[in-house]
Amino acid sequence: MTRLYVYAIVDRAPAASLGSGLAGEPLTLVAAGDVVAVVGEMQDPRGPTPDALRGHDAVVRRLAGLSDAILPARFGTVQDAPALAEWLAGAGEGLGEALRLVAGREQMTLHVFHDAALGPEATEESLDARGLGPGARYLAERRRHWRHKERLPELEPLRPRLDALVAAERVELRATPPLRASVYHLIERGRSAEYRDAVEANLDLVAGVRLRVSGPWAPYAFAPVA
Amino acid sequence: MNDPLATRDLLAEADASLLDLVDNILTKGVVIDGEIILGLAGVDLIYLRLGVILCAADRLMKRFE
Repeated sequence: MTRLYVYAIVDRAPAASLGSGLAGEPLTLVAAGDVVAVVGEMQDPRGPTPDALRGHDAVVRRLAGLSDAILPARFGTVQDAPALAEWLAGAGEGLGEALRLVAGREQMTLHVFHDAALGPEATEESLDARGLGPGARYLAERRRHWRHKERLPELEPLRPRLDALVAAERVELRATPPLRASVYHLIERGRSAEYRDAVEANLDLVAGVRLRVSGPWAPYAFAPVA
Repeated sequence: MNDPLATRDLLAEADASLLDLVDNILTKGVVIDGEIILGLAGVDLIYLRLGVILCAADRLMKRFE
């Protein structure tokens, strides 16, 4: 059975040449319904080395230049053609909705770091948890996590300054301090410089955290987990 | 399948751009019902180390400013 490495899902077959993939293999298409997967035949897929990750992203970026709407596939996905076509047909509705969301757009990321001087351990709720047993401390930490998951209050003052640029947002809290959270914003293609300027011009609005802007990226964080 | 060797490779090249590569390419993107050739148990470890590196670099920069 031929093994196909999946790079991305697009809304229609690109008019231009697809070029080659991670292993230099020619890229081809597997279509089902209204969605198309861009794949390369690969019998021995590479592991997640830094070069392989950069190579995967380079292919996705090139495909994004050929397609108005693209959903990158997670690194390392391998499938055979009949099963992939069957999966695409079954997931078509959700993929179509996601493709409409990302059409003409790209992703920017805001990594939110705790200020080292404050640190998550210095929060009022964490201080309240001192003296508790291990189980109670765990529950207190989970409560703090879920309470903040809903709003990420540190960024509230910044949001109005980005509203005009941001079409959609995903927030992912991190359990690995000092990295506090990653916030993914979907913006119109070609406006990443404006986004960076808007963040940098308003850094004084966010206290106690440090921000790092990254992008533009293909809309990895807006791909559905089907 | 975990791949500790690949995790060590990633950690050895820990820098800010790698944080985003790991974040986007290993933990995001369409999850297709197929064979995934890897599963990195060390992704959180990479985040932890990169977070520490980035904050340490930030403090050093302030010291020299």
